[in-house]
Amino acid sequence: MSVGAKAISRERSFVHDAEKLLLGNGEVFHGETILAVTKALLQSGVSYVGGYPGAPVSHLMDVLADARDTVLKPYDIYFEQSASEAGAAALLATSISYPLRGAVTWKSIVGTNVASDALSNVASCGVVGGALVLVGEDYGEGASVIQERTHSMAMKSSIPLIDPRYDMQKIVDLTEQAFEMSEAGNLPVFMSLRIRACHMTGSFVCKENRPSATKTRNAPLLAGPDRRSIPLPPTSFTDEQAKIEQRLPAVRRFIRERGMNEHMAGAGHRFGVILQGGTYGVVMRALARLGLADGFGACEVPLLVLNVIHPLVPEEITDFLAGKDSVLVVEEGHPALIENQVRAFAQEAGLSCRVYGKDTIPTTGEYIAGVVRAGLAAYLAAAAPKDIVAPALARNAAIAGNVQAARARAAAQPLPPRPPSFCTGCPERPIFTALKLIMRERGHLHISLDIGCSTFAALAPLNVGNTVVGYGLSLASGGPIAAALNQPTIAVMGDGAFWHNGLTSGAVNAQWQGMDAVLIVLENGYASATGQQHVPSTGASPIGQPSQVSIEKTLRGIGVSWIRRVDSYDLTETMAGLRAALDQRGPNLRVVISGNECMLAKKRRERLAAPKAAAPERRERYGVDAEVCTGDHSCIRLNGCPSLTLKPTQDPLKDGPTAHVDNSCAACDLCGEVAQAAQLCPSFYKAEGLVNPGPVRRLAARLNDRLLVWMGAS
Amino acid sequence: MTRAEPICVQIAALGGQGGGLLAEWLAEAAHQAGYPAQVTSIPGVAQRTGATTYYLEILPEKNGAPSPVFSLFPDEDGLDLMVAMEPLEAGRALERGLITERTTVITTLNRIFSTAEKVVAGNGALGLPALIAPLERAAAKVVRLDVDALTGRPGVPGNAIMLGAIVGSGILPLDEAVCRGAIETKGVAVAASLANFKAGLHANGQAAHSMPAEEATDQLAPAPDGFDDGLASYPAALRPLLGHALARLVDYQDHDYAAAYLRRLGPLNEADHSLGKVLVGETARRLAAWMSFEDVIRVAQLKTRPGRLARIRAELSLGHDGLLHVKDFLKPGREELASLLPPALGRRLMAGATAGPVGGLRLRIPTTSAWGYAALKLMASLKPWRRRTYRYAREEAAIEAWLAAVCQCAAQDPELAQRVAELAVLARGYGRVRARGLEQLEAFTAKVPERLRDDPIDLRRDVDMLLQRARHDPDGDRLAEA
Repeated sequence: MSVGAKAISRERSFVHDAEKLLLGNGEVFHGETILAVTKALLQSGVSYVGGYPGAPVSHLMDVLADARDTVLKPYDIYFEQSASEAGAAALLATSISYPLRGAVTWKSIVGTNVASDALSNVASCGVVGGALVLVGEDYGEGASVIQERTHSMAMKSSIPLIDPRYDMQKIVDLTEQAFEMSEAGNLPVFMSLRIRACHMTGSFVCKENRPSATKTRNAPLLAGPDRRSIPLPPTSFTDEQAKIEQRLPAVRRFIRERGMNEHMAGAGHRFGVILQGGTYGVVMRALARLGLADGFGACEVPLLVLNVIHPLVPEEITDFLAGKDSVLVVEEGHPALIENQVRAFAQEAGLSCRVYGKDTIPTTGEYIAGVVRAGLAAYLAAAAPKDIVAPALARNAAIAGNVQAARARAAAQPLPPRPPSFCTGCPERPIFTALKLIMRERGHLHISLDIGCSTFAALAPLNVGNTVVGYGLSLASGGPIAAALNQPTIAVMGDGAFWHNGLTSGAVNAQWQGMDAVLIVLENGYASATGQQHVPSTGASPIGQPSQVSIEKTLRGIGVSWIRRVDSYDLTETMAGLRAALDQRGPNLRVVISGNECMLAKKRRERLAAPKAAAPERRERYGVDAEVCTGDHSCIRLNGCPSLTLKPTQDPLKDGPTAHVDNSCAACDLCGEVAQAAQLCPSFYKAEGLVNPGPVRRLAARLNDRLLVWMGAS
Repeated sequence: MTRAEPICVQIAALGGQGGGLLAEWLAEAAHQAGYPAQVTSIPGVAQRTGATTYYLEILPEKNGAPSPVFSLFPDEDGLDLMVAMEPLEAGRALERGLITERTTVITTLNRIFSTAEKVVAGNGALGLPALIAPLERAAAKVVRLDVDALTGRPGVPGNAIMLGAIVGSGILPLDEAVCRGAIETKGVAVAASLANFKAGLHANGQAAHSMPAEEATDQLAPAPDGFDDGLASYPAALRPLLGHALARLVDYQDHDYAAAYLRRLGPLNEADHSLGKVLVGETARRLAAWMSFEDVIRVAQLKTRPGRLARIRAELSLGHDGLLHVKDFLKPGREELASLLPPALGRRLMAGATAGPVGGLRLRIPTTSAWGYAALKLMASLKPWRRRTYRYAREEAAIEAWLAAVCQCAAQDPELAQRVAELAVLARGYGRVRARGLEQLEAFTAKVPERLRDDPIDLRRDVDMLLQRARHDPDGDRLAEA
């Protein structure tokens, strides 16, 4: 049986949210942006939706997966949780051939990188049905991926890119316009939402959902010819021409005609700001704090808000530049693609307007409030007339002064960071304890990690693992290094990574080429990092239908014969399995599947099936005898469980706080396993309690307790 | 005309603390009350214990004609209210310039230690005063809440208590009724949340006056009888600690053993003419800890201590009727067996030890069963035999060598002597951790006299390095990497 088959409910249920997707004409939606965009897809009459979960857009997938009966069936919408972002992008092929609207979603930049093959092809072939790619940007604070721009990808493939101003009505309107724009220019369209914007709350006035073209099957769909587009010469060349000479110009016309970008004239000064729509809120707040805006949309400084940042419309830019001595371009991320184009447009138009940008605002990093305010102040100081500059700069200086004064008064010491870590009772964590202990036996091993929660192994306290180069690519990445170090290639991937890319790029290739490799698959039955979405080996499809896809059978099918399944919470068994896999040197792939259920999921499952009040109830947890603990904290450095923490000591003879297991302990047994496997200390105990025991047990316990008391226990 | 400005609120929580629900309650309450508001979040990934932040703006004006332009980011000097479900996270907002004289801070007093604090071998934890005092100096007002005490059950989400405290602070235009409505509308753990909400609402005023909970204070045992004369030659300030140490050693072994402790300390005490005798204090503390080293006999004694099972019962919230099973994890190996033998036999047994995978017998002693408890009691009863064992002899030798090193340094450089006294920290832990530490310490103490003579500066550098490594790289991981 698959381990995950038991864990068929995600962390959160979205059935309640799905009701909001059915609001009718004139009704007011109130909720998060990502749900509002989902509603906008329905109002646009999409026929298909796909994607790959990843923060911050997982919500869209989760809601639709839970809305099979309320939304997907009634509107006849095809929905899939794609195998990868490339698979999701491939769905857009539907809109190449047929006038069907569709949307796909993933986390950028990483998902866009994976999808780029399909995206290039779809953009080159062109679409006849509106095709929207909704990407959630994971840039800046809390980011868990490399920091790059989707903008570069949009430009190289000629995919229009919407970066909307964060007003919920505007976002919904732009989503609907995105489909029209896609059809007007025969190009797929990106819409990019930053992480805070995805989770922002707001309201908009709904329209009736539009029936999809699939629903009204027989009318426009089959009337037109089955459009074929294959990227082979001569089509490859004519498509390139069409993209540049017809489709992008059509998009530019659409942007102008529909007024997608917003020119706010302000007080008509000879300076102004060109900004990405997504930075509007932070720019307006900064201007308000500098005394140049009222916080309700009225602003003294002329603004050109680019809700579409690719393609730019040269006339819109030069119209804005005309009559100005300078502009500031507020553009988050690197390279400065908008700024450089603006400069080029000015030069081509023979305008002498000076363009400020990355010379005034930092080149890299998230444009948070303070950064943008400081940048605007610096720009004003350089470019605005004295009577405007002086009060604005005085206000900015007052803010800086207050911050400095507060810091000076506080005189606080630097604080330790708090990066994400594995959960209490995590089944993915113990394997890294095992690897750490094995390295103590055998010396350093180079270990390739993968994308997923297991990446956190690289952080303290485990500090295990050398590289991460992409989803499902751990096994593929280690070959030359292992050869150089004379060790097997060692890769650790979760079940999500295995199915995303790890099977083909890693396991199949290693088996085929006879690599001396050890693959460790962490099988807990779902994608952990993004909210426990199903994966192919969960035992159930994304919408909860039973399914039978097995990692072990798949590996046996490609000819892997050395497969050892270990219980992830059993350290002794795991270490024995790993030692055997490492010692079996030779041109063959060895796989250790480390699996068990997440303790938090197990608790949730048990809670949902809560027994009646009077029935016997088991309680388990671990504990540390503070008197026995010497405060060396070896256990913490080998374990990494959040529930294993510190407790201030009351004994002056101790050198610091002792280890302590807090109430969140899920009794996964790892503490006991570590204490024994590493021969750490005898401080740990496991306590099991039975509330409301039956009469026989109670009697036996009473006799036993008498004996203990006689021996001196209490 | 001056328009109202939005009230800016940041909530910092750790994954699993219910910060998201707190933000949703506030958004819902603002919505129900009819105030324009916007909430956003950086919930992080799905994992527990990472830092998560929520940011809320509310315009305290109903029916404003144009809708406000909200921001998704707090600005420096821009927070009216900072709510921290964990006090270090309030400190982080201060570090980022978000907390200034306009800011009211509502923080719990319940630490959830960060990994960086936990991994230090020794004391890496930031104390509450170090976190709360800077906030009090920087912010307009700090409201402190002991959430664990208010909920009565440590670890239960304190988000509804925080909601109560937020309403109680009067900074937001949201009253008790509308927040109760929001809790009911959201429908998550309604009864418990309403109760906690009420507790938070009323705790607000009191907590503002209470001082932050200090670190757990030392609980010193009184000196056993018969040591008054021996203690008389020590400064009064040191006597409570020495009394505690003597009590410990009597419990550990017997009166004679405790007397031996004072005899050992004597020469150092006589040689130290400084006012506070800091070196004597430091050495006394370390010596007592070392002399009560945790051998199998001691562990069995502690595991069968009266009151232990009652304490564990309470940890499980198990009433008198509930059944309790306790398993203790022991793994006696060659070393533990040797430790109980006479020195000559023990040495011979240990001579055959090899590196390689850790061996030993994986025992899970059911301490709550009659035979399990009896077995531990039997082990504890070997106490009188202890002073004839291989382990005892080995520890004695190491202790003497370390004490000698302290005394040698004291004559020349008292400050260095104190650092050398601290080196006893290496003699801690169990199994390989302890073996490795002892080896390092013995290798060091053996050469102290000649190094003190030849190159004291180099010696001092070495001591600092050993101490640094003992606390921050005790497993030698970083050394191995380098």
